Amino acid sequence: MAQIPVQTIHRDPQLFYWILAPITVVMVLTGILRHYATVMMATAPKKMDQKTMREQRSLMHGINLRNNYHVLSKRSFNVRRDALTAAFESGAYLKNPDQRGQAPPNPLSDPSAMDGMMGMMKNQMAMIIPNTLIMSWINAFFSGYVIMKLPFPLTIKFKSMLQAGVATRDMDPRWMSSISWYFLCIFGLQSVFNFILGSDNAASQMAAQMNQMGAQGTPQMFGPGVDPDKQFQAEAENLAVIEHYSVLDDVETRLLEGIRA
Amino acid sequence: MAPSLLHPPSHLSPAAALQLSQQAPSVLQSSPATVSSAPLISLFSTSESPDLWLKYENLLLSCLRTGDEHAAHQCLDRLVARFGEDNERVQALHGLVKEADANNTGALEIVLKQYDAILAENDTNIPVTKRRIALLRSMGRIPEAVASLIQLLDFSPTDPEAWSELADLYLSQGMYPQAIFALEEVLLMAPNAWNMHARLGEVQYMAASATGATDAASQKYLAEALKRFSRSVELCDDYLRGYYGLKLVTTKLIKDPPKPAVKATDLDDFAVPTTSTIEKLNELATEKLSEIVRRYTAKERQWHGYDEAEIAAARELLSQDASQTER
Amino acid sequence: MSTEKDYQISPVVQESIVHNSRTLFNFQSLTASLFGVCAGILGLESYTGFLFYIISTLLTCILFYALRIAPSSIASGKAPFDTSRYFRGAFEFWTSGLSGGLAGFILTWTLFYGLVRA
Repeated sequence: MAQIPVQTIHRDPQLFYWILAPITVVMVLTGILRHYATVMMATAPKKMDQKTMREQRSLMHGINLRNNYHVLSKRSFNVRRDALTAAFESGAYLKNPDQRGQAPPNPLSDPSAMDGMMGMMKNQMAMIIPNTLIMSWINAFFSGYVIMKLPFPLTIKFKSMLQAGVATRDMDPRWMSSISWYFLCIFGLQSVFNFILGSDNAASQMAAQMNQMGAQGTPQMFGPGVDPDKQFQAEAENLAVIEHYSVLDDVETRLLEGIRA
Repeated sequence: MAPSLLHPPSHLSPAAALQLSQQAPSVLQSSPATVSSAPLISLFSTSESPDLWLKYENLLLSCLRTGDEHAAHQCLDRLVARFGEDNERVQALHGLVKEADANNTGALEIVLKQYDAILAENDTNIPVTKRRIALLRSMGRIPEAVASLIQLLDFSPTDPEAWSELADLYLSQGMYPQAIFALEEVLLMAPNAWNMHARLGEVQYMAASATGATDAASQKYLAEALKRFSRSVELCDDYLRGYYGLKLVTTKLIKDPPKPAVKATDLDDFAVPTTSTIEKLNELATEKLSEIVRRYTAKERQWHGYDEAEIAAARELLSQDASQTER
Repeated sequence: MSTEKDYQISPVVQESIVHNSRTLFNFQSLTASLFGVCAGILGLESYTGFLFYIISTLLTCILFYALRIAPSSIASGKAPFDTSRYFRGAFEFWTSGLSGGLAGFILTWTLFYGLVRA
């Protein structure tokens, strides 16, 4: 097959100053703005009443015992396990012991659950609004140009995405329009924000999306719509199956060997 | 190590605390008197850092300790100006200053009433709850302090500070099993805290040597204390208290070895190691203790972080040991 | 002995691990962006560019190891190229830079390629 000749297109150098630079600067500034907006919109953790706190921390207590049982002697572990399992199973730590076995309330009607939803909504909004604004801004002002050439080849599938608004059939998909520079910025500016704002910033929507993925992967601990009674039962079961050993077994032999070595 | 205002000053020696509180005028002068919390103004004024407020808090504590109440009030005023009267931590600090100002029992009673009033409004205010317990304790009302601690731990069982305070209270009353239980809870929260391992070992050693402990019980305690001290030095291999305790326990076990009759305890408890192991551990502890004492006395670099009193105690223990072997 | 028990016996502080990995990540995203600048100015295209990226990232990893980790790690009796004193997994240490910095690399690569070869 004959080699396709390399396409060269002569572009006005002014394109850089009037398209590339504005888009990049706007992207960086929106990232910074988003970071500070998230910081300001963050609500203080809501006050819990004593019962709720008791419920959550008792569950944490059980989880701690499950994770760190190895510091205890077998006798003390057994005592704790028996006490906690009995309490968990009888629902002694529940906020509303009368509501055991009932279906959890609908999270949409529960006012305390609404707060969490609002927080999520706010975060979503902080991501969606600037993105739509910038997208439409770019489409309105900068569509129809080809501004750059990617340094690596791509398949023809990317053509419709990279060259949106440039209706030519034969152009190499490596040529890209301003909207694809915008996409590159979304993915690549994370490292820039790292230097400007410190590493745990909220500027990049990529990181925010990653966080959401992670949150969906692990079941929510105390989220709305989770039945605490079920959690307690599960924890009691987890505790019951632990086969106890202690780090104190043979610690003196380990110590003597470690010193000699 | 020079004392830093970024760490809580409760463990400092009086001299170091004094040194800190003498910095008070310069610290108070060098930082702005008020930092507004309004977002618009804070954009244009000097930036605040969490460190600054930590500094104020620790300065407040040192000043109260050394009797510089004027500076303490200034720190408190700034904290109040920033965080408001209703902040839980500020409320506790405020109460602390009032406690320091009170000079008779009646005034303390009033402070206690105020704490009760705050808690009646908001029963999850943990800093104030803790302040109230500390006040009860310093007024000598131990049973009440214990009762409120237990109540606190009922709704917040994952609070290592409260558990260790409870252990301390029980220990002061000689209730060893309860103190051991509380310390074990601390360890569940902080499984790698070598100082807590050593502390638990100390309490178990005390329980073993307490009058009224049966042979079997005391031997059980000693075995676990030995393990705890070993674990503590395994986690931190130049921890003086760990070696000190290890030496005490092993010496005791060598002096009166466990009687074979009581040796058959059930499997749930730790067994006492063999005599040769105990002797080796004793040697190890002696060696390490004398190394620490020697290097500390020679003022070698990186070896001067020890407490003077602990070094003195270790030296005494070593000299006792030496005089025994000479005899 | 199970590895979990090993880990419980000689624990590693979680916060320090997080701090170390974060430092490494920041460092790698910075260098990745700089390598993008290099590749763009050199005018590398397609495979050579990616090859350049892989090689230079591995090189920074090795330098990072040799300058920051090796002195205290080998002194404490670890084998060479064992990063377990400061990091959780060896695989993570050697490869995290490749995926973490790629987006930054492509961004600066494209930008400078475009600027220089326009």
